[in-house]
Amino acid sequence: MSHPTPLAWLAVVIAALAFGACLLLAMSGGGRVDIPWIPSLGIRFELEFDGLAAMYALLATGIGVAVFTYGAGYLPIHLHHAHRPRDDDRRFWPWMLLFMAAMVVLACAQDLIVLFVAFDLTAVASYFLIGFDRERRDARGAAMMALLVTVTTAVLMLIGAVLLSVEHGTSSIPTLIDVAEAGPVTTLATLLIAVAALAKSAQVPLHFWLPRAMEAPTPVSAYLHSAAMVAAGVLVIGRIHPLLALEPMVLDGLLVIGVCSIVIGGLLSLAQDELKQVLAYSTVSQYGYVVVLYGLGGPVAAGAAAFYVIAHAIAKSALFMTAGTVILATDETRLSRLGGLVRPMPLLAAASGAAAMALAALPLTIGFFKDELFFAAATERGPLTGIVAVLAAALTLAYIGRFWLRLFAGPLGIEPHAVPRLLVVPILVLGVLGIAGGIVVEPFARLAEAAASVTYGAPVAIHPAYHLDTRPENLMALAAWLVGAIILVAAPIRQPIVTRVAVLGGRLGPRRWYGALLQGLSRLSDAIHGEEVRDLRRSVAAVLVPTGVLIGIGFLATPSAWDYRIGDIGREDLPVVVLLGLGVGAALTVTRDPGRLRPVLALSVLGFALAAVYAVMAAPDVALVAVLVEAVYTLVFVAVFAVLPLSQRAAASAAHTARRRRDLAAGVIAGIGAFITIWAALSREPSQRGDALELIRLTPQAHGSDVVTVILADFRGLDTMVEITVLAVAVVGATSLLRRGRSW
Amino acid sequence: MSSIIGVVAPRLLGPALILAAAIIVKGYADVGDGFSAGVIVATALALRYVSLGWELAERSLPVLRRAPQVATAGLLIALATGFAGPLVGDPPFTHYPRAGESVIHIGTLELITAVVFDLGLFLFVTAAFVVLIHHLARLAQGGPR
Repeated sequence: MSHPTPLAWLAVVIAALAFGACLLLAMSGGGRVDIPWIPSLGIRFELEFDGLAAMYALLATGIGVAVFTYGAGYLPIHLHHAHRPRDDDRRFWPWMLLFMAAMVVLACAQDLIVLFVAFDLTAVASYFLIGFDRERRDARGAAMMALLVTVTTAVLMLIGAVLLSVEHGTSSIPTLIDVAEAGPVTTLATLLIAVAALAKSAQVPLHFWLPRAMEAPTPVSAYLHSAAMVAAGVLVIGRIHPLLALEPMVLDGLLVIGVCSIVIGGLLSLAQDELKQVLAYSTVSQYGYVVVLYGLGGPVAAGAAAFYVIAHAIAKSALFMTAGTVILATDETRLSRLGGLVRPMPLLAAASGAAAMALAALPLTIGFFKDELFFAAATERGPLTGIVAVLAAALTLAYIGRFWLRLFAGPLGIEPHAVPRLLVVPILVLGVLGIAGGIVVEPFARLAEAAASVTYGAPVAIHPAYHLDTRPENLMALAAWLVGAIILVAAPIRQPIVTRVAVLGGRLGPRRWYGALLQGLSRLSDAIHGEEVRDLRRSVAAVLVPTGVLIGIGFLATPSAWDYRIGDIGREDLPVVVLLGLGVGAALTVTRDPGRLRPVLALSVLGFALAAVYAVMAAPDVALVAVLVEAVYTLVFVAVFAVLPLSQRAAASAAHTARRRRDLAAGVIAGIGAFITIWAALSREPSQRGDALELIRLTPQAHGSDVVTVILADFRGLDTMVEITVLAVAVVGATSLLRRGRSW
Repeated sequence: MSSIIGVVAPRLLGPALILAAAIIVKGYADVGDGFSAGVIVATALALRYVSLGWELAERSLPVLRRAPQVATAGLLIALATGFAGPLVGDPPFTHYPRAGESVIHIGTLELITAVVFDLGLFLFVTAAFVVLIHHLARLAQGGPR
């Protein structure tokens, strides 16, 4: 039951190969791809494997290997629990791989448009991954929420990108950084991009999608919500940081949002009982640190931010996987029911303990250095940011301490059943990596330095190390551990406070606004739709009335619209006059005849008469189409009448008479409008624009003599292709609605 | 009325097919193209559906059951001719043989890629309409009894 599928192993192998390739590239000094993509807009498919790209690509592929391995063991059990077939993982692995590829492209993107496309690709893949358990309503809602929040804000990013490229004539980020100067347009554009990035990194007030996204299977959370999707946001900020830094106010805004995220995320994390919720809010808080560092600006902060992302990704993905393993082993998701797992699961306890220590910044872990650098950057700015930094670190220690201790210490809550080794080994690897980084920090520091140099725009050097003295960073770390330990121990005081914060947040928080907004939109759309489809007459009016109004506006806006001519009628016009007379007679029959079949036949006479007029007036293609349309209409009427019951005369009530009067008025107005419009059109000389003449001239060269056909099949072949594609989509849509997707 | 349709409909398919073929072949010299030809054949088929009912219509002409495959094939033919250009470095919907080059004639039919595209269009339009008629008819008249 728990054996991984070949597809899962394939995904692991691909991730491992990608990691190896990224490692080779990083050691050989990077690489570049630069090909024209949309030359008419000056957009190039520009990728460069620079320092920043190396760091995020290595994280996406490296954490990817660990999480994919874990997922290979996790998914069969997950599917088994949900009573789904084993091969349903084909709805999983392709999206995971697409996500990884999109992250790598995003990391390397040097053009704002490429950046945007990769950014949105991650959102699309995340939709399918979060909604993997699609039979559950909560999972579908969570996927939709994550998609809506990150994709609607991504549109802001596109607007920002367009603004920047219009203002500076390029969308290439390195060029923009060279040429851009502070100005209102640049500031607005960078702000828009920053909003998209902050929403992606689940920063307050757009953080609410992340806790909800915990509906996803655990490997998804461990990957997307620790090292990949949420990292995409800070990656973008790190990429365009020199543009953001043009306006100090933007950086200050980042600082404020980061601090809010740290505090709100930290407090709410303490209030949660569900394992994955604790970690989700912790992610909000942790990326708040990174945003604060980017808001501080400067080389030290840039280095610290990059290092922070590495340390956090390693620790958090290990903790998410721990949560998943515990949930699978005990079938329990609440911290309050669990405990004492250190004895039955010692290896897991040790591995996740190392990860928790790393996140809590205890010495001999990579996390110690992340806080050392963070404190250094914060004190550089001033005492206030220093104090906030200490409080932030204390909160982190408290919520991660609470998470680990509640899981593993104390009396045994629920006896776990055995889990496959694949659900522990990746956590162990990441835990060991967290410890190794605390002893040999050099490789990680070099990686962060290279990334920070891109962010800062000049070489950056960071020197994480242990110093046994009373420098401010060490004192701040001590203070943070002390305060954190107090918060951890003082559960009776702490819990009522954070619970109240959580209740208040639920009552006033942005998730409520999101719900209200969505419901309002849905109600508005329902109201409009309800009005439109109430009866057939309204459905028709919904199309014809706006058309008529638009034509009227067009008339008012056209100065020469009132030029009406009555031409001469010569002998050669006789066939047209006769046919039009036939049409008028048929039209009168339609309005006067009380029967059923005769009006239909009269309508088709009218139609065929008009088709004949087209044929006479040298528009044989239009005539052909008109004949076809008339034939189809008549057929449809006859087919419908064959099914309809015999007519019963409606009683002539007062309401009926009033409606008839209204119909008459509407008909007269529509008729006069159409008459005026057609008369106006016929009064004008047909415009001989150069384009049409050119096409007529070229027709013989295209081996044709019928211009319309040659246009359809050759000159405008692409348009025709798109049209039949639309038709294909419509047919597929109609069959799914009519017969639930059966093709026959 | 319905007896007229009952007599005419089954006999209409042959002439409709010939007309469609003529329209495609003569398309470049005279009025008509794959789309019109497709609608003509589809109309004749629709008339069969109306007069015979969907079960009998499909039993008497089993090829109708292949409509989804035919539609896919038509779309693929159109796509392939349209996007053969980019494969060899030309813009999409490049016309082969190029303007001025010699063309193989079979009567009035000229063998050029645009005609192949038109043929794909014809197959797709015909089959797509048949698929729609089939589903609507099944919905209106119920499934097999």
